Amino acid sequence: MIEFDEAQKRLVLKLVYYGPALSGKTTNLLCLHDTLQQDGRGELMMLDTTEDRTIYFDLLPFFYVAPSGLKIKLKVYTVPGQVRHDATRKAVLQRADGVVFIADSQISQQSINAESFANLEQNLSLVGLDLEKLPLVIQFNKRDLSELVTEEELRTTWEPTGLPVLMASALQGWGVLETFQAAVEGLFDSLDQKLQLLERFQVDRDDFVATLTKAKKL
Amino acid sequence: MTESPTHIEFIIGEEKRLSDIVGKLEIEPLLRSALKLGINRVALLDEDERVLVALGESIVEQQGMCSEIRLPILVEGEPKGTLLLASAGQIPGLEAIARLLQDSLQLTVTNNLKRMLTTEVHTSIVQESYEQLVSTNHRLMESERRYRTLARDLEIKVKERTAELQQAYQRMLQQEKLAAVGQLAAGMAHEINTPLGFIHSNLNSFAKYQNRMAEMLGLYRLLLAKETSPETIKQQTEQRWKELKLDFLLEDSGVLLGQSLEGADRIATIVAQLKGFAHLDGMEQQSMDLQHELKQLLAGLAPQLPPNSRITTDLQPLPPLVCRVPLLLQAFANILDNAIKSRSEGLELTVYARQESDLILVAISDNGCGIPAENLPHIFEPFFTTRPVGSGSGMGLTVAREAIIGAGGSIEVESLAGQGTTCRVTLPHG
Repeated sequence: MIEFDEAQKRLVLKLVYYGPALSGKTTNLLCLHDTLQQDGRGELMMLDTTEDRTIYFDLLPFFYVAPSGLKIKLKVYTVPGQVRHDATRKAVLQRADGVVFIADSQISQQSINAESFANLEQNLSLVGLDLEKLPLVIQFNKRDLSELVTEEELRTTWEPTGLPVLMASALQGWGVLETFQAAVEGLFDSLDQKLQLLERFQVDRDDFVATLTKAKKL
Repeated sequence: MTESPTHIEFIIGEEKRLSDIVGKLEIEPLLRSALKLGINRVALLDEDERVLVALGESIVEQQGMCSEIRLPILVEGEPKGTLLLASAGQIPGLEAIARLLQDSLQLTVTNNLKRMLTTEVHTSIVQESYEQLVSTNHRLMESERRYRTLARDLEIKVKERTAELQQAYQRMLQQEKLAAVGQLAAGMAHEINTPLGFIHSNLNSFAKYQNRMAEMLGLYRLLLAKETSPETIKQQTEQRWKELKLDFLLEDSGVLLGQSLEGADRIATIVAQLKGFAHLDGMEQQSMDLQHELKQLLAGLAPQLPPNSRITTDLQPLPPLVCRVPLLLQAFANILDNAIKSRSEGLELTVYARQESDLILVAISDNGCGIPAENLPHIFEPFFTTRPVGSGSGMGLTVAREAIIGAGGSIEVESLAGQGTTCRVTLPHG
């Protein structure tokens, strides 16, 4: 949690899109930006990149105002995936309220996924966060490509963890919103436990989720 | 990473006030351009409606002629400030100017924010890297300190071991000397024992002869005392003389004593040879006649020669050599010993000694087994030996070289495997 000011009725949250380099984290955010309606969100801010690779981070903010007047701002960040930018990843992970792990579905990328996941675990513990308690959503991206690990196989592997696992193609624009929605739901549940959002601030789960994930009218 | 320096000053995502992002000096030129277009008052207000920058005159409430435009300035999509334009009269395109100004301000704010975020991340990383460097440096210094200690200890250990080795080496040298003395003593004992044996046996025989002679003399004395006639005496003694075989006894006694004297002389010679080795600890410099000593050595080694050996010597008179005599004798004894052991029979040993200007040259050659080329570089090394275990200490040439170098000389060894070996010793005199 970045900030919680009860007097000012202000709550600032952080959701981090984590994962190996070139797994499609920025593309997820671009897709969200393009899909979601403008009311509830700000503009996508992309810091300097080199050759299409994020070297700092991207930021897409979302807004929600509860009937109680509590203003919730959700800042969605991506991290740079390249191994050498570990310090930046650690910095972005500070005070995260939830994590979306974007994995590459290609068979050839599985060990890189595992490495990145281990890196997430390590960095979370370094910034004092507990992976067990943090809402975490897994997305297997690039389902539009060939030579992929089958969905069945992925589900068999991940089901026992109880984590939401989603298939997506950020490039084609499917699965992205569902992933974000799962993350927002997880975020709400975890915050509600800590802050009693509904009881104290009349933040309704369905309304919160619907507001943040409202798609543009076609 | 145990004490990981994860302290980061900036929290990425921390909310910022508009005043954190843009400054008065930065905004003023932009706003001033609006004044030039005839707008009376331009201001930027922060999220609490407080004035960050304001230019132009305050407009006194006039009769409804005043027009005012307020536009939001966003930070991360959230209104965080207000751009305020006010004009006393109707200005054509006020709305458009306002929008233009808003866009410019918005752009400045967004760019500044990006720059700030980039800087913050960068600073965090630099700081973390620095802390890591500091801790790495600390660890390196620690390990350097350990290695220093280790190196110092190692030096002490090496010194200790070197001293131990030197002591062991000294002991070996001493033992080598003792072994040589022992070997010599064994040879000498044998040599002394032979003459001693026949001296003993001769004297035994002589003691018996002496008894008979005494008996004969007693008979003479007795007969003379009886005043027996010379005829009677002659008759009686003649018979006894024959019985006692005194003719033979007298003749043999001479031979016995002669042999014994000869044996005693031989023993005396051997003892003289021994004298050279007798005072091994007396290391004071003495004058030595090398020609004489070489003769003595060769004589002393004679019993150890293999069968059918031939010794050729050409030992010229040499000037006196001042040196540690026992050491140098030991050196030549060792070289000669090697030569003698180089062949089990038919040894041809050649020993030359001569003077050349201020140098004494000695060459000792044999026709023995020789030294294989690969062993040649090692022959002076301590403990290097090709003889079976127990029969050579590998110290002979080491000791020899040391003694020769100690006397200011040098030794060279030439050898061909299967053909023989020549040792050349050069010594300075005077």
